[in-house]
Amino acid sequence: MIRLVLREPLPVPLEAEVLSPDVMATLAHDAIRALPVFLGKHRRRVDDCFRVEGEKSDEVTIEGDASRVKWIGRGMSRGRLTIAGNAGMHLGAYMSGGAIEVSGDTGDWLGAEMSGGLIRVRGNAGGQVGAAYRGSPKGMTDGTIVIDGTAGLEVGMRMKRGTIAVGGQVRDFAGLQMLGGTIVLRAGAELRTGAWMMRGTIVSLEPIPMLPTFAPAAEYNPTFMRLVARHLSRLGHRVPAAEAEGAYLRYTGDAAVPGKGEILVWRPR
Amino acid sequence: MLRITGGTIYDPANGVDGVVRDVCIAAGKVVADVEGGRTIDATGTIVLPGGVDVHTHVAGGALNFARGLMPEKQRVARKFLRTADRRGGLGGLTPTTFATGYLYAGMGWTTVNEAAVPVLSAKHTHEELRDTPIVDKSCLLLLANNEILLDLLEAGEVERARDVVGWLLWAAKVYGVKAVNPGGVAAWKWGKNASVMHEPVEGYEKLTPAMIVSGLARLVDELGLPHPMHLHCNNLGNPGNVATTIETMQALEGRRAHLAHLQFHAYGGENWSTMRSGAAEIVEAFERHPNLTADAGAVLFGDAVTVTADGPWQHMLHQLTGHKWGNLDVENETGCGIVPYVYRDRHVVNAVQWAVGLELLLLTKDPWRMFLTTDHPNGGGFWRYPEIIQLLMDAEFRRAQVRRLPEAAQSRIVLGEIDREYSVYEVAIITAAGPARALGLTRKGHLGVGADADVAIYPSKPDADGRLFTYPRYVVKGGEIVVEEGEIRQVVDGREYVVRPAFDAAIEEYLRPVFQKLYTISFDNYAVEPERVRDAEIRDLPEPS
Amino acid sequence: MSLTRRGVHIVDTFAEAFGMRAARVVITAATPEWARTAALATTGFATSVIGCKVEAGIEAELSPEQTPDGRPGIQTLFFAFDAEGLATRLVERVGQTVLTCATTACFDGLPDASERVVVGGQVRHFGDRYQASKVVDGRRYWRIPVMEGEFLVEESFGVQKGIGGGNFLILGATQAAALEAAEAAVDVMRPVPGVVLPFPGGIVRSGSKVGARRYKNMIASTNDVYCPTLRGRPGVESLVPEGANCVYEVVVNGLDRASIATALRAGIDAACRPGVVEISAGNYGGKLGKHHFRLHDLLA
Repeated sequence: MIRLVLREPLPVPLEAEVLSPDVMATLAHDAIRALPVFLGKHRRRVDDCFRVEGEKSDEVTIEGDASRVKWIGRGMSRGRLTIAGNAGMHLGAYMSGGAIEVSGDTGDWLGAEMSGGLIRVRGNAGGQVGAAYRGSPKGMTDGTIVIDGTAGLEVGMRMKRGTIAVGGQVRDFAGLQMLGGTIVLRAGAELRTGAWMMRGTIVSLEPIPMLPTFAPAAEYNPTFMRLVARHLSRLGHRVPAAEAEGAYLRYTGDAAVPGKGEILVWRPR
Repeated sequence: MLRITGGTIYDPANGVDGVVRDVCIAAGKVVADVEGGRTIDATGTIVLPGGVDVHTHVAGGALNFARGLMPEKQRVARKFLRTADRRGGLGGLTPTTFATGYLYAGMGWTTVNEAAVPVLSAKHTHEELRDTPIVDKSCLLLLANNEILLDLLEAGEVERARDVVGWLLWAAKVYGVKAVNPGGVAAWKWGKNASVMHEPVEGYEKLTPAMIVSGLARLVDELGLPHPMHLHCNNLGNPGNVATTIETMQALEGRRAHLAHLQFHAYGGENWSTMRSGAAEIVEAFERHPNLTADAGAVLFGDAVTVTADGPWQHMLHQLTGHKWGNLDVENETGCGIVPYVYRDRHVVNAVQWAVGLELLLLTKDPWRMFLTTDHPNGGGFWRYPEIIQLLMDAEFRRAQVRRLPEAAQSRIVLGEIDREYSVYEVAIITAAGPARALGLTRKGHLGVGADADVAIYPSKPDADGRLFTYPRYVVKGGEIVVEEGEIRQVVDGREYVVRPAFDAAIEEYLRPVFQKLYTISFDNYAVEPERVRDAEIRDLPEPS
Repeated sequence: MSLTRRGVHIVDTFAEAFGMRAARVVITAATPEWARTAALATTGFATSVIGCKVEAGIEAELSPEQTPDGRPGIQTLFFAFDAEGLATRLVERVGQTVLTCATTACFDGLPDASERVVVGGQVRHFGDRYQASKVVDGRRYWRIPVMEGEFLVEESFGVQKGIGGGNFLILGATQAAALEAAEAAVDVMRPVPGVVLPFPGGIVRSGSKVGARRYKNMIASTNDVYCPTLRGRPGVESLVPEGANCVYEVVVNGLDRASIATALRAGIDAACRPGVVEISAGNYGGKLGKHHFRLHDLLA
């Protein structure tokens, strides 16, 4: 295992895509210490900012308040990255495999454009979870992101596939321009959920304000929700599905596109 | 002072076809002899006049709109990091300004003609050209959908129209006239197009695209512009547009014109499933009209960005492809459309398009009339010109590429049957001497005494991919060595060529009230002040004939 | 060498079985009854590839904990000679008997198989473009809107090698005794994992031979040498021994040799009871099928 402990609070953002199992898995201790990071506009070594223990492992742990550390786990494809504390923006962006676990909060763009792997955040996340970067035709194309706390704006914006689950409330435009995949909002959302939705599923366990371009269809217990529920229960997120507990009211939209998406709102019995 | 010695010289404008002799340079020009200064040992190289790109889109509002439309491309573009003598920038298909200069010079191209400038945003174009280092520049003014002008042409007020054109050219500080889809971009403001040459344009009673074509060509001739009207024909991109292109040639009635990116206007067939090459027909008609020059606008497989004033065509392309689309309206003058695109070798239509550009270059007998371009960035990045040159020079390689095309494409093209191979001499014509002559830049495109000392020196042996011209050993611009062994060594500023036509200054009294009524800005803010054009070389034109 | 078990003579012969391609289909529903109703319809008319183009049967009943969607289910196996044929049959059967059956969903039982065939990806067209794809945890499903609500079916099903036509013959003194022995065999064979018994009740009363003696162009005909009423008929070299008056065949298909061998061993043993004269097996001289199960080896 490789352990990186932040020496002191960072005065400016640190860009550190080298903090990734893919980069460190084959490197010796000294090589890890010498990896380049950018503190503001200045190039530094990893060990200027972190105390480094261990080598040659695809299990990497980061300790300390890394809320200003950006791009941790960028593009990773294997291994396990554990952050005991907060993490900054772009955590796990472009990742294709492996797992990231965060005990604290994360910044915006968590798992942006990821294509596989698993991210678990115990605290709160920012906006643009699993989203497309500006101009990109699509956001995350597979993988799973679960956030125990809240999340910000544009969760799952232009996502194409994969699953996002958020335990706390999310802000506006969840599922904006969604192309596919599944977003589960366990504590509902603010405004304009599903705007410009093309395909995909937004599940809300709380009632949410609905755009006028979403039409109610039927109340039912879709079988696939049982698959989603089982997948998420293994990750600590309980999602109801059984007839005994209630049913989902399905809204189709966004008719403004016209889209073939849906918002499923839970109605407990 | 500079002497280039031992290289094999190709200077078609002066009939030099592969002769080993010295090129001497002093004070930025080619001279007969020189003493002192540096000597470049050019043994084992071929030496050509610096390239002249007669049609490209590199600066201004439309191009910048394209840059902004595709942030995802900027994220992965080649990075030009700032150094002590080089500015920063981004490459890709819509390179930023400094990068554009470095990229062109890095290939051995030293003169660049920005093909589409609206009057209203000409200030923006000139600012970007000012930041485009090393290369010399000219630009062309979009006029064929200028509604003030179209109104005058409809009314038959030819003299007033000529003065307006003269005034606009000088106001914009440009070098020539560009006509894009005459009438069509004006019609696009009504959601329509103008694809039929003899049908009146939307909003007009009598004025047809053919009348705009002949009318504007006549005005360009009367004003004595060094470069003919540069024409992007109507009905671009549609199967069967061979007919429109030939009608256009006829509508010119013998007047000079330069047909832009002719590949996009050379399709036979009736629809997308029967679309085939019409290059042979086009070349046959082209050769019967000696008043015309053209550039190929060839496409290469891979990424491209379509950037054109042809607004209605771009909307169509967006609907066809589902790719994102940007559309700009330029008040009363023109418009523009941007759609990112990929040419795929498995796609039958793209395969035909790829062949058509090459067929035009290979079937046209006189290289002094058909020049090498990709209508950058519409057909592919300009740094890929060496790939096209390889296809022109190596018939076996070319035939092998044709055999890899989808079956359905092979029966729609004639490229596989063509044996012709371009010589280095002919390449020098289509990349430098010919375009310079067509642009009327008498000191460009050749290495005779008095020419601007713009020289490109390449290894005479092809690279590992079988291509010449990919890696200049030296590039000289205005007598300064700007590139050495493929690296930018020195950055110099280029100049901008501007014409000052002769027109009746009183035309302003006509223009001002019309303009104030129609435009959102003040007439006094419309023209480009001379100070905005750095290193302008102004050519005064004679009184109209 | 002679072998008997509980007085029953075990012929020193072998069963000849065939390499086939197999798929496993899991059908879930709101109740075990509805799952079984669907499964019986889906695996019906699937006794022999010759006439039915596929062979199938119920492999096991699954509890809610054992199914992908946490509802009661039935696990079935299907066998055909190639993956393409298997795919076509599955699309037909799922489309006609699972899609149509109340509350069901349909999942792939061989998710780790590298060879895959598209099933849900074909059935989805019933949705007339209203269907929607859903990928959960790396597996793709189709949600097809139907009058009940939604039918969920997995996009692709795994295919692996399987074996069809494992068998043994029960030659009994009377019809009743032979049938009782066959039923007892079937009872212990059904619970064996990885196998199904495609014929009605697991038993074949009309075992066949390849081709025909008297008719041209027949693929199969009655196995005259095992027909008790043809003993003594000129031209019939009967294999029905003295004392036997009725023959039943038990046929088992399975995912591998081991599971078939386990099933055969258990079945043969259960069939060795009073009233049974002999246990034998069907083969084609070893020339057609590459999987041979020697009876003496099974009981060794």
